[in-house]
Amino acid sequence: MASSAVDPTPTTPAAPRSRPPLQSLAHKSVITIYRIVAIIVLYAVLLGVLSYAFVMGFYAVNSNWAAPVILSDSDEKSLDFMQKLVISRQTLEDLKVDIIRQQSTLAEMTKQRASLMALDPELQVAIARERSHDQMTGPQLAGLETQKKDDNAKTQALLTQLHQLEAEIRSDLASGLITKGDAATQLAALNQAEDAYTDSRIAGVLLSDDVLNKTTIGTKSLDVLEKQAELRSDIAQLDVTLSVADNQLREDNRQVERLRDAIEIAKQSPYFLNASGNKRLYFAFVPYDNQANAKVGAPIYDCYINMVLCRKVGTVKQIFHGEEVISHPIFKTQVRGLTILMDLSRPESAKSQTVFLGHKPLLF
Amino acid sequence: MAPILLWLIMFLCLLISVLKYLMGLILRVSFPRVKIQKDYTWHPTVSVLMPCFNEGKTVYQTIESISKSNYPPELIEVIAQDDCSVDDSYEWILKAQHDFSNIPIRAGRNDFNCGKARTVCNALEHSKAEIIISIDSDCIFHPDAIRELTACFAEPGIGSVGGRVGVSNPNDGVITAIQTIVYYAAFELYKMPENWTRSVCCISGCLFAIRRSLLLEIEPAIRARNWFGIPVNQGEDRFLTHQTLLRGYGTYINNDAVCWTAVPTTLSVLFKQQLRWRRSIVRDFFYTLRTLPRHVFKLHPNTVLTLVLTPLGAVVAFLVVVTMLTSDPVAWTGPAPLIAYLGIAAALTWAIKKYSARETIHHPLAFGAYIAWSMASALFITPLALCTMDSADWGTRTKQQQEEQIGLVSS
Repeated sequence: MASSAVDPTPTTPAAPRSRPPLQSLAHKSVITIYRIVAIIVLYAVLLGVLSYAFVMGFYAVNSNWAAPVILSDSDEKSLDFMQKLVISRQTLEDLKVDIIRQQSTLAEMTKQRASLMALDPELQVAIARERSHDQMTGPQLAGLETQKKDDNAKTQALLTQLHQLEAEIRSDLASGLITKGDAATQLAALNQAEDAYTDSRIAGVLLSDDVLNKTTIGTKSLDVLEKQAELRSDIAQLDVTLSVADNQLREDNRQVERLRDAIEIAKQSPYFLNASGNKRLYFAFVPYDNQANAKVGAPIYDCYINMVLCRKVGTVKQIFHGEEVISHPIFKTQVRGLTILMDLSRPESAKSQTVFLGHKPLLF
Repeated sequence: MAPILLWLIMFLCLLISVLKYLMGLILRVSFPRVKIQKDYTWHPTVSVLMPCFNEGKTVYQTIESISKSNYPPELIEVIAQDDCSVDDSYEWILKAQHDFSNIPIRAGRNDFNCGKARTVCNALEHSKAEIIISIDSDCIFHPDAIRELTACFAEPGIGSVGGRVGVSNPNDGVITAIQTIVYYAAFELYKMPENWTRSVCCISGCLFAIRRSLLLEIEPAIRARNWFGIPVNQGEDRFLTHQTLLRGYGTYINNDAVCWTAVPTTLSVLFKQQLRWRRSIVRDFFYTLRTLPRHVFKLHPNTVLTLVLTPLGAVVAFLVVVTMLTSDPVAWTGPAPLIAYLGIAAALTWAIKKYSARETIHHPLAFGAYIAWSMASALFITPLALCTMDSADWGTRTKQQQEEQIGLVSS
């Protein structure tokens, strides 16, 4: 091991190897170029970082920026919006057709109800008239029935005598007191008398029926009453249907009004304007923090590198108050705000990342 | 195609980084093979080479800590080589030489300032020991450090062994606190997968042990290092490790061999240190690209991955930060990233408190600050390193030297 004494001789490092002049020149050239490039790169990085920091700070405090939005014809929101609008319009048309149909049905039902209502008093009168007639003819028929019964009783007594006469005729015939022809004539006359008696009894029974019908409430009357009840039921059902149809009609009319209002409001949307118009429109998103500068007629400025050397490029034409949410053009955070329509004299400004409302963001 | 490739590389680098930390954690607790077989009975002769430049009294304390080593003193020698310090460093070396007579101490001085790498080579000229330990002159060594380093050479094929660098001033400020976390994570987790395959790609120059024969073989390459004719004096530790691997030897970091260093306390010093390290990473990357086709099949796949992806990671980090700041500038301030950062910080702070009590951190939000520093570092240091490859100074101590030289001239 070496001693711990101080080594007085300074150590000399090995001398660097000498290089050929050509290689040395090449190295010097490379190093010179490298240093120039390095300086440029480093200054570019520095400039980039400073610019970035300034932009960040600028947009953190600026309160009049707006982000232009170019809505293409095939813009998803516009298409979606138009699709909904078309559906609303279709619904409106369908409702109108329904209303017409309902109105027609309602009129028809009203007419039918009127017809039914007209039947009811006629039916009442007919029933009353019939009842009145029955009340008048009923007792008369009852009297005639009694008389008929008396007549039949008398006829029956006579027929008993005729039965005895028949026996005498047969006896006379058997004893040869009368000819067969005479006997047949006499027997036929007797048979006619019995036949007439039977008819008279049938007439008596029928008369009893008629009396019963005229003096009491029979099934026929009940039939009439049932028909009367059916008629009234039909009228009541028709009333309910009419009421429902009337309510539906009113509701449909209200729905039509609502849809019309909604469509009118929708027509004021930037997406409708964009999708329906033939002229290219320029919109911009304004965050709520910058809303104070978004006034109709306010000048719009477009700037180089989003903040300096600004020039007026148009004015605010219209403000849409529906809320929109977009990503902050610099910070990429979600920002809430509203949309404006810009009247641009320089359409290229619609492609800028930001424009400024009301005044220039800096002094120049 | 290019963006896809770029994103693929970015994703791969981030994935590998995350995987390495996770794998390190798993290896630490699960695989005994990660730990090297040590032989404490083998006692080779050891030369401790201590290059020094403007360290002042610290060199005295460094030598003092070596003199208190529990390694047999008759087998140790210290070779302190001063690289023309403009302060009283050399006087402190002489004083140490006088005060710590239990070990042989050789004090040497360069004729002219030639950088750390060549100063190590100059010191090597006076060494005859079997194992060479190169150290930083601002570190304090644990008494077991030398014993732990030499014990690792018992495993056949090991060419270089490093030690764990602890932070002696973790609570000097937020800046030192964040470095404490980074040092701890680097040594205890990040290096573990490399240790597993004995293919650590960068052994810290604070505590670097290497076989003498190997160092002698590499020395001409160290002296010949240049950047288009400009001598390269920095990053000799990474270069030595790389050379060790290329020669087929294994490299290992023994976390039981500990030294303590005072990390930078100001942003400017930290920036210079990081710039020096980044420059050495970039330089090593170019070297890797140049030599890899010849050595790719000789090296362990883990070594190849680390050699390529570590420097690429610096470039990727730069691209990630630029992309993030331009596409979504305030994304990193969202609650999810902040919770993730602070969660990692809390876990690492807890681990440090439990397993390395001396480095316990009292700044609970230090890791949050580290994230901000990482962004600034990724954004500025990589391009700056790429554009200052011709620098040949000592890094953190140059300004002091220049100021003092100016002072001398004016006086």
